[in-house]
Amino acid sequence: MFKRHGRAVALLAALTLILAACTSSDDGGSSETTAGETETTAAASSGGSVLAAVQDRGKLNCGVNNGVPGFGFVDESGEHVGFDIDYCKAVAAAVLGDADAVEYVDLDAQQRFTALQSGEIDVLIRNTTWTATRDGSEGATFLHTTFYDGQGMMVKADAGIASLDDMANTSVCVQSGTTTELNLASRFDEGGIPYTPLTFAENPQIQEAFIAGQCEGWTSDKSQLAGLRSNWPEDQGGPEALVILDETFSKEPLGPVVRDGDSQWAQIIDWITLATITAEELGIDSSNVGSFGDTESTEIRRLLGLEITGDDGATSVFDPGLGLEPGWVVDVISAVGNYGEIFDRNLGSDTPLGLTRGVNALWTDGGLLYAPPYR
Amino acid sequence: MTSVSETTERTRPPFWRDLAVLRVAAQVAAVVLAALVLVYLGNNLVTNTRAQGITLGFDFLDQPLGVDIQLSPITASNTILQGLIRGWINTLALVIVGLPLLTVLGVVVGVARLSSNWLVAKLAALYVEIVRNIPPLLIILFVHNVVILGLPPKNEPASPLGWFSISNFVIAGPWFDASDGAGAFWTAVAVAAVAAVFVWRRRTKVNEATGEPHHRVAYSLGLVVLVGVIAFFVLGRPLSWSLPVFKDRLVTGGIQGLGQYFSMLLALVVYTASHVAEIVRGSIQAVAKGQSEAANALALSGFQRLRFVTLPQAARIAVPPIISQYLNYTKNTSLAIGVAYAEVTLIAFQAIGNGQPAPQLILLLMVGYLIFSLTISFVLNIVNRRMQLVSR
Repeated sequence: MFKRHGRAVALLAALTLILAACTSSDDGGSSETTAGETETTAAASSGGSVLAAVQDRGKLNCGVNNGVPGFGFVDESGEHVGFDIDYCKAVAAAVLGDADAVEYVDLDAQQRFTALQSGEIDVLIRNTTWTATRDGSEGATFLHTTFYDGQGMMVKADAGIASLDDMANTSVCVQSGTTTELNLASRFDEGGIPYTPLTFAENPQIQEAFIAGQCEGWTSDKSQLAGLRSNWPEDQGGPEALVILDETFSKEPLGPVVRDGDSQWAQIIDWITLATITAEELGIDSSNVGSFGDTESTEIRRLLGLEITGDDGATSVFDPGLGLEPGWVVDVISAVGNYGEIFDRNLGSDTPLGLTRGVNALWTDGGLLYAPPYR
Repeated sequence: MTSVSETTERTRPPFWRDLAVLRVAAQVAAVVLAALVLVYLGNNLVTNTRAQGITLGFDFLDQPLGVDIQLSPITASNTILQGLIRGWINTLALVIVGLPLLTVLGVVVGVARLSSNWLVAKLAALYVEIVRNIPPLLIILFVHNVVILGLPPKNEPASPLGWFSISNFVIAGPWFDASDGAGAFWTAVAVAAVAAVFVWRRRTKVNEATGEPHHRVAYSLGLVVLVGVIAFFVLGRPLSWSLPVFKDRLVTGGIQGLGQYFSMLLALVVYTASHVAEIVRGSIQAVAKGQSEAANALALSGFQRLRFVTLPQAARIAVPPIISQYLNYTKNTSLAIGVAYAEVTLIAFQAIGNGQPAPQLILLLMVGYLIFSLTISFVLNIVNRRMQLVSR
């Protein structure tokens, strides 16, 4: 009797231990989430907690793409390069003073918002289209557009397809979890064009299917298609084997995204983008950013955080109160250059993509880039 | 009587040392702790999602789906719920066709591993050892990229015998074309099939009672075929042969499946069958050696020994672990997201990517797979119970 009794007690003790272990490990797991949570929620009230977290950590966690040449791509040497990557560097330069203090987190289209919500990344710069639903129900805040894109269709040059209306009974490859598939469905359903969508998770798989002739069309943002076309394997005929149809069937404004609830952090990211645009407008680039020490223009002196002498002879340094050190713009511009430089380096005519500025030109040149005054 | 109960009363230890009380207390404590953990996690989910401005609830299921689903009438204007249901149908299409195929392949390979023919046994062993040790996702990607994408491109399909149309986009074969009266025809065949079951049982009983050969296959199959032929002509030939034809980028007629479907089917059948083969081999080896020796002593042929002595006894051992392989197969269909086959996981993740709430959709997925798996194991457990030895 005693023996069995003892066994029951031992069992109970073991059970309690196991349960305790479970709960305590749960505690450990969720206290992290709760910490991340207080971070985001506290941000709304006290302000600056993502900024503080990044500065404490000494590294920026930037959610990026690794499969789109020109925007976010891992090159032969294993380095992240691209337009979006340069904006990650700009944020690190502004916030930490070191453009290389970035931890790149490669995300696919379906993971990106979850990674942002969970606090795994501080900012998402991964050719993400700004839409009302995403702004409204993903717990995300979309910031100033860095690249105005539009959706297009790429087909093989010898397929006998000159426009979308020639595409009846075709199969179209598209990346899943993107606005691209929504626009594809709208355009083809409204046009009454019967087709079969094949939704893959990653671009490399689409490329395999496209080469094998499983799908006849590949739809994505035109800039992405240009990048993919420029990298098209030579044994498949190189870029000339493909054409991108003229029609653009959606607006795709791409820009950085942050979590809801920390307006200071959102303003900082916004003004980093705007500073690169303003710098281009004022003719400041990475080669001459150090040469404005004695410029007369107060506009430039304000932007670069140089001393401004008032009428009474007193000097001051302009600080808009964003929570960044004066002179942060100098760090950004010397690290990645102004908007034009970032564009030319990654997407411009000297790159394999060979894109023209188009709508992504300054407003003074008839484009859409227009920054509010920095004062 | 009273004195007995009095003695029990007296000898009963205090409740903190009473085993009966402690046993119940341990169970209660475990349940309470488990409930607390669940409440804590649920509360955590609610607070976190609320803090992030994500809504809880299932109203979003009535929102438009926004995307078209391949080879189906579901378009962007259908609701998310309809899209998910279509996804379940596509999952079911993999399960219904896959389970019988993998069972046959698994049994054949499992028996082959024990073959006395050296080559057959080694080939089966090679297949099992290679396939069983590779993650299913890799097998799916391999089959998709090497086997299916290696077929002719969409617009240059091969058509062997004129009966098939085979490309890496669609594989199509001959099927029936239904006209008026097809419903009546299928009803007649179904009724005949039910009757055939009774004929089968009747013949089995006659065989057991009198020892006269049962010929139950001939009797029941004959019944179905006879009724089918009569119904076919009486109803004025309601079915005709439909062959797939390729024209203007489109295959029409016949029965069709996307290349992605066949990638999944082939890969998962081959993968799961390797596990089933091991179960079958183990179960056969677990049948007492005396059984096959006795069969040999009775001068049964190799096939008869398998069919009447070893396999029926091995099946009793094999069914429970095979059920769990069926469940694995069902769960592995969710890997179709890698090759663009629109089963339910892919559709749910599409919706998540397009701004629908992840916690609810993933919860729906989990509940759905649970129901799916429980149904399969419920049905097969009935089979299992009927196969077990009945001790009288």
